[in-house]
Amino acid sequence: MSDLPYGPPVRVSPFIRFGRWSLLTVGIAYGAFHQNRLSKKEALFREKEAKEKVIRDEKLKAEKAIAAAAELKALEELSTPKK
Amino acid sequence: MASAVGKLPSLVNTAIAQARPKFGIFMKYAKVELAPPKLSEIPQIKAGFAKLLTSAKTGAWKNQTVKQATLNVLVGAEVLFWFYIGECIGKRHIVGYNV
Repeated sequence: MSDLPYGPPVRVSPFIRFGRWSLLTVGIAYGAFHQNRLSKKEALFREKEAKEKVIRDEKLKAEKAIAAAAELKALEELSTPKK
Repeated sequence: MASAVGKLPSLVNTAIAQARPKFGIFMKYAKVELAPPKLSEIPQIKAGFAKLLTSAKTGAWKNQTVKQATLNVLVGAEVLFWFYIGECIGKRHIVGYNV
C-alpha cells in the first residue's frame, strides 16, 4: 500500500457503504420499474392516437371540401356581374 | 487536417498510457473505499442505523459543530446521489425516460 500517492485508503464506515449500495440497487429497480410503466403507458397512448388520427383526418378532409366548395361558390358569385 | 487525423491514434495511445497508472491507483482506493458491505459487517451497519435513530430521537444531531454538520450533509448527499445513478442505470437513459 506504500505505492499509493494519497496515503492509505480511508476506511469508510460500513453503514455508509451499505447505504450507497442499497440506494444504488433501489435506484436501479426504481428506474427499471418506471421505465417499464411509462413505456407501456406511452404505447397505449400512441395506439389510441393512431386510431383517432384516422377519424380526425377524415373529418378534416370533409371540412376542407365543404370550405373549398363554399369558396368556389363565393368566387363565382363575385365574378358573375349582377345585372 | 490530414496530419491531425494521422496523429489521432498516437494521441489516443498516449492518453491511454497516461491514464492507465492513474486508473490503477483509483482501483486500489476503490477496492477499499467503494467495496460492497460484507456479511460480517452487518452488526456495524445495524449499529450505524441505531446511532442515526437515537441521534434523531434525542436531538443529538443538533449538537454538532458546523464542520461536522457540513461533512455529514455532504456524505448524506453523496449516498443519496447513488440512488439517482442507479435510476439512470435502471431506465437506461441519462436525462428523462426514453419511451
